[in-house]
Order: sequence, then C-alpha cells, then structure tokens
Amino acid sequence: MPLLEVNNLTKRFGGLVANDRINIEIEEGEIVGLIGPNGAGKTTLFNCIAGFYTPDEGSVCFAGEEITGFPPERVCKRGIARTFQLVRVFKGMTVLDNVMVGAFSRIPDADGAREKALEVLEFVGELENKDLLAGGLTVAHKKRVEMARALATDPRLLMLDEAIAGLNPKETEEAVELIGEIRRKGITIFLVEHVMSVIMPISDRIIVLDYGKIIAEGLPQEIATNEKVIKAYLGERYRAAS
Amino acid sequence: MTDTLRQRLIRQRLPWPAIVAGGLVGLFILAFPFLFTRPFPQHLMILIFLYGVLGQAWNLLGGYAGQVSFGHAIFFGIGAYTSTILLSRWNVNPWLGMLAGAAVAVLVSIIIGYPCFRLRGHYFAIATIAAGEIIRLIFVNWDWIGGARGLFVPMLDESLLNFQFHTTKAPYYYIALTLLVASILVTRWVERSRPGYYLMAIREDTDAARSVGVDATRYKLFAMIISAFFAALGGTLYAQYLLYIDPDSVLPLALSVRICLIPVLGGTGTLWGPLIGAAILIPMAEFTRVYLGGGGGGIHLAVYGALIMLIAVFEPGGIMSLVKRFRKRRT
Amino acid sequence: MLSQLLISGFLMGLIFSLVAVGLTLIWGVVEIVNFAHGAFLMLGMYATYWLYRLLSIDPLFALPICTILLFFVGIVTYRLMIRRVLTAPMVAQIFSTFGLMVFLENMAHFLWSSDYRLIKEPLVHGRLEVFGLFISKPQLVAAAGAMVATGLVYWFVTRTQTGRALQATAEDKEAAALMGINSDRMFALAWGIGGACAGAAGVLLANFYFIFPKVGDIFNLTAFVVVALGGFGSIPGAFIAGIIIGLVQVLGGHLVAPAFKSVIVFIIYLVVVIARPQGLFGKF
Ligand SMILES: Nc1ncnc2c1ncn2[C@@H]1O[C@H](COP(=O)(O)OP(=O)(O)OP(=O)(O)O)[C@@H](O)[C@H]1O
Ligand SMILES: [Mg+2]
Repeated sequence: MPLLEVNNLTKRFGGLVANDRINIEIEEGEIVGLIGPNGAGKTTLFNCIAGFYTPDEGSVCFAGEEITGFPPERVCKRGIARTFQLVRVFKGMTVLDNVMVGAFSRIPDADGAREKALEVLEFVGELENKDLLAGGLTVAHKKRVEMARALATDPRLLMLDEAIAGLNPKETEEAVELIGEIRRKGITIFLVEHVMSVIMPISDRIIVLDYGKIIAEGLPQEIATNEKVIKAYLGERYRAAS
Repeated sequence: MTDTLRQRLIRQRLPWPAIVAGGLVGLFILAFPFLFTRPFPQHLMILIFLYGVLGQAWNLLGGYAGQVSFGHAIFFGIGAYTSTILLSRWNVNPWLGMLAGAAVAVLVSIIIGYPCFRLRGHYFAIATIAAGEIIRLIFVNWDWIGGARGLFVPMLDESLLNFQFHTTKAPYYYIALTLLVASILVTRWVERSRPGYYLMAIREDTDAARSVGVDATRYKLFAMIISAFFAALGGTLYAQYLLYIDPDSVLPLALSVRICLIPVLGGTGTLWGPLIGAAILIPMAEFTRVYLGGGGGGIHLAVYGALIMLIAVFEPGGIMSLVKRFRKRRT
Repeated sequence: MLSQLLISGFLMGLIFSLVAVGLTLIWGVVEIVNFAHGAFLMLGMYATYWLYRLLSIDPLFALPICTILLFFVGIVTYRLMIRRVLTAPMVAQIFSTFGLMVFLENMAHFLWSSDYRLIKEPLVHGRLEVFGLFISKPQLVAAAGAMVATGLVYWFVTRTQTGRALQATAEDKEAAALMGINSDRMFALAWGIGGACAGAAGVLLANFYFIFPKVGDIFNLTAFVVVALGGFGSIPGAFIAGIIIGLVQVLGGHLVAPAFKSVIVFIIYLVVVIARPQGLFGKF
C-alpha cells in the first residue's frame, strides 16, 4: 500500500485548470521530485494535499485513509508536514519557539516540546541560532528553521516546496545533504523544485507537471532524456523567455 | 520548600536587588489602603487594577493571538448587567451573579467569535465594532433591563458576602487586586504553555501555524473565552463598586477603545504591558478629568490618540519593547 | 409617508456613497483601512461651520475650499504616518489610523466643545413640494453634489491617465512599478482623494445636519458597511451600496423601530463579510 495516493485530483481557479486529473503514488521511504515550469501547478498540488485547497474532483489518501478536504491542521496530525515556497517562519518569535510550535503537535507539555525542538534544531544545524528572532535570519537559515518546524511535528511525509531555490552553491550542498539525512530517518520526501540539476541527483523518481497535467514520470535519467519533458520544460518556452 | 524557591530563583537568574525591589513593591501594594486612606488614591488604584484586568483580557486575544477587537465592552457590559439583573430581580448573590455574568459572556463570545474568526485583520476588527454596536443598541432599547436609563444596583448590607461596602473602599481595592493577580497568573500560564505558543503562531502567520497542526479557530476561541471571562468579572466588579450602570457607561464603543489602548500603550502580547498601560493611562485620564473638569473634555483622549499613533508608527511593541531595548543596551 | 421616507433615504444614501467612495479608494489602492475617515468628514463639517460663522462664507462656497483642505489633510496623513506603517504588522496599521481618529475627534471636542451646532441660515434652505412630497432643499443639493462628486472620482479613476495609474497600482503594485508608476505618489493621491471625498461630504452635510465632534462615527461605520457590501475597492459598488444602505436604514427604521435602524445596517455588514467577503461587486 502506498503512503500517499492522489487519485484523479482536479483543481480549478475559475476557468484555469491548475491541476488536471493528477494521479500519484508515493511509497514509504521514497524521495519523489515534482518538477515543471512556472505556473505548472506544483504548489497548487501541494496545497490540495496539505489541505489548504479543497480539490474540485478526486481524492487524496494517506496511509490508506482518505484525507480529501481535511483542514491543514488535521492533515498535519495524520503525519504530513510541509514547507512553503516563500518561507513563512513566525517572524516575531525566536527560532526555538518556532520549532516548539511544531513540536507541540505531538507533545502537549512545554518542557517536552522544548526538548524535542532542541533535538530537531541540532539535527538541522540551527542550534546556535535558537534564541534569535526568526524574522532576522537569512533566507537559507529561515528555510532550515521552517524545515525544522515541519520535522518537529514527526511527519511520515515531508513536502518541501522549493527548499533549495535561491540558495548559493554551498547552502545548496548543505540542503541536499540535510534532505539525505531526513530520508535516512525513514521520512518520505516529496519535493518541488524547478531547477532540474538539483533535483535529479537526490530523487528516486521524478514527476513532471506542465499546464496542470502530468506529462512524464520515471527515474531521473529517463526524465532527463524524455522528449516531452525537454520540449515542455527546457524547450520552446524556455528559449522564448530568455 | 524554601530550598525549591531558592533554586527556582537561581534558575531564573534574578538578581537579588530585583527580588528585594519586587518584594517591596508587593508589600507597598498590599499596604496601600492603610497608607493612603483618602478615597481618591484608593479609587485611582481600583480603576488601575480594573483596567489592568480588562487590558489583560484584551491582550490575550488582541496581543497574543493578534485578533484586534474593538468590542470588548460587550463582555464587560454583559458581566455588569447579568449580576445586576440577577440581584435586582431575583435577589441572587452578586458573587454568583459574577460567575453567571462570566458564563453568559463566554457564551456570547463563542456566538460572536465562531463566525467572525473566519475574518482576518481589518475585517475582524470592524466586525467586532459592528457586534458591539448591535449589542449596545439592543440594551439601550430594552426596557426590561432599564433601557437607556440604566439600572441601580440594590443596596445590600456591607459585607464581603454581599460584595458591597459603603463606608470604605479598601475591600474593593483587594477584590480588584485579586482579579488583577488572577488575570496575570492565567496569562502567564497561557504564555508558557502550548496555547500561548499557538496563539502567537496564529498571530504571526495563521496558515503556517495550521500547517504544523494548530487548529486556529479553536485556539482563537480559547483566547476569546478567557478574554470574555475576565472582562465580565471586571464588569460585575464595576457594577458592585459604582452601584449604577447604563449602556453609556458599560457598553459604549469608547470603552472598547479605552480597553484596547491600554495594552497597546504598555505593550501588546506581553505579560506586564496591560498593567503598565493602565498605570499610565488611568491616572492621566482621572487627573485631567478632576483638574480640567468638564472644560478639559477630550484633551486626555486626544493625548491618548496621539500616543497611540506615535506608538503604532515608531514603537509597535509599546513601552515593554522600549524597556527591553533599554535593558539590552545596558548589558 | 413611505415614499417620503424612501426619498430621504435615497438622498442620504447618495451621501453615504460619497463617504464610502473615499474609503474604498484608499482601501483598494493602499490596502489600509482608514478608521479616521469619519473624523475627516467631521473636520470638513467644522471647517464649513467656522467659515460660515467667522467669515460668513456660505457652505455652498465653502465646498471647494474644504474639499481642497481635506485633500491635503489626506496627503499629509499619508506622508507623515501611513507611509511608515505600509510594511508594518497589521495591528500597527489598524492602530495608526485608529489613533488618528481618537486624536482628531477629541481635539475637536477640546477646541470646540461637544455642543451640537447647526448652520442656521444657509443660502439653500426650506423645502420643495413635489407631488405632495416634501423634499428638503439642502438635502437635495447635498445629494446632487454627492452624486456629482462620486461621478467625478469615477471619471478620474477610469478615464484619466493618472486615474488609470491609480487603478493599476491597486491591481498589482509590482506590475505597476514595472510600468514606471511611482506607487508612493499613487498612495498619496489615493489618500488625498479619499480625504477630499470625506471633506466634500462633510460640507454638503453641514448644510442641514448637526455638527459635533463624534458626528463622523456613524458615517464611518456606515461607510464600512457600504464598502463591504459594494466590494472592497469598487467605486460603482460603493455608489450602489450607499443608496441601498440609505434605503435600508429608513425602511428598517420604519418597519422595525427607528432605534434599530443601525442594528440592521450592522447586521448587514456581518452577514456580508462572513457569507460573501467579495461583496456584491468586484474591484473598480
Ligand atoms: N489562489 C489562486 N487563485 C487563482 N489562481 C491561482 C491560485 N493559486 C495558483 N493559481 C494559478 O494556478 C496556476 C498554478 O500555480 P502554482 O502556484 O501551482 O504553480 P507552480 O507550479 O507552483 O509555479 P512556480 O514554479 O512559479 O511556483 C498558476 O497559473 C497560478 O496563477
Ligand atoms: Mg510554486
């Protein structure tokens, strides 16, 4: 039984079909990459899975149970955590408090949550910033705090929306390493990225979205050579834009 | 026992001078009615405590959870009216009336909060104004509860049980102080436990908070309920203290505004902000009222307004954030 | 009786429209709610009153003076205050204009006392009789003036180049900036026009309405309702919703009880924002 199962999911905004009959299965322990040009519908799909949007059609099942239309907080309780494309830390709270908010989802008492948060902060390498206000950090640090906040909820599936975009080469390397370590903890990862060179080496499997539809799915090396993908993704539009 | 207290103090690394100063302030506050026996200073302190409670009530919802309410007079008024009606119609003891008032206020807060919490920011603030005005107008036009003429609280014998004292203000002083301490302790508990973290997360970014499992509506309601509860207790205290209430004194928009100005001045989302705000604003208001009389009408509120603008623009954290900055510079 | 009420409701509604147009313009362009909007209107009324009392200038001639005055009050408010809270937390935004309202109202109370004042003999006074209905002339003039002013603002926003720039800023700041539109100037302009609308409405009202420090409150609250009903940022929406609210007020007052006419209006606000947040019409 797959951990996450998206069946025939459709999401429309007025006349625009942002997600068109999407079918996805993700097995426990996998790292699955979701790529596609700007506006392909990647974030929309994340929002549908995480409960921020209600799909117009289709269903989302997690660990064998249907969670379609659940509000985000319930989805989180089931074991799905996410980060946001434009980082959304709690700016006016310290790094530690940010992560404690995540930890509280499983641990009701403050001391326990603090302990858990410190553990996670150490894991992502943000322990020394724990007392700083999250709003004052650089983007790279904010992204890690956001990831820590999500990890503190003890997810089975972690969804990362462009966790790497906008980082410099060194930060990128660290982020990739961190993703590897998260996977080693047994957490399944579903990540969006629109820079192919980053996502290829870390993903077990890649799904390509274009204009709301899945146009290809497979191993990274297959995707890299797939006609359709090259055309949609690197092809005409890319050249026209540059 | 003393040992654990000492350990706790050591853990918090409070310097001894601070502890001594705190103890002295505490003693001074406890002894105040004996040191200042004239009515005016006691009256002033009672008002500071009362507004400290109201400000703290507002602070839980507006400061910690970031849901700005311009309708807190609703709960204050409901507290005042419930106990007064119960007492004058059915002779119910004011203390029971106080609890009943808090219960009714909590109920009303849920009825208002549940639909309104779908609104964000400005829309919520305006909705609370609308709700407040609706309730005020209903009270003004409801003859059974006195309408615009208001209600006199029936005179009872002077005793703690009767919650009435005619020859001295000191008992009111201690009741107000108890309420204040209770509101501060509850806020402190909230601040340091899961609900407090959740409320702050909701204030900072509601969607992000929901993504890590925060049931935003539920916790906003939680804040609203505690908030309404304390505001209503304050309402009964006010009614028993002044022995007369009418919609213009316990339900006007101006009161809602005064309630929120207090924590805004002192520092929203901080434990001590409301008390600091009350300790500054209330004496200011009372002195201008006493010394300028009717002719000075409005000037203290004009100064409030200017203060609020200045704070919003230059120091959104209020006086508490000034204090914090000052401390940081010293160390 | 009923048609008499409907007429006065309609005429009042046109003034609500004008007040709300100013509010909705600021809201739409700058994305900040001006809680001091009613206070601006109150300033317009007092300015009219003092021009009349001290310089014997009739409200009719005070109209351009006060409108321009409040235009600058709007701009100054933006330049000195709003600009500093544009990126601040929303709570700070709410309190900045809210503090301004408290300040202006109470300054008015302090300077001019809380007495109710009335302009006793304006140039336009008395009433007309049409088909057995009485229409107060100052109210008619005020409504006509409000309608013209609303029309002018609409014309300005949709037909002139500056107005289109304003509209573009409201739709998308970044895109407008890319097109070379200076959003700071557009914001200031929106505040100026917003203030001018409130000021003009104040002058028109001063012809027949009591003048006191808190007179703006009820117009402010009504304007929130009108803006919500018309759709945040929509000028035609505010125009139509203003008339609707004017009619609802008198009808509600007539059918339920005069005391409850504002209750009905506030209930409309709550129902509209909770059930249909986008209002009855879209933006602009
Ligand atoms: N809330 C919304 N309302 C209306 N349209 C929306 C909404 N959210 C997304 N869209 C539209 O849906 C389409 C898909 O957007 P989405 O953000 O999912 O793309 P994406 O693949 O994440 O793109 P990017 O790489 O730029 O992040 C876009 O055309 C976008 O404009
Ligand atoms: Mg995206």
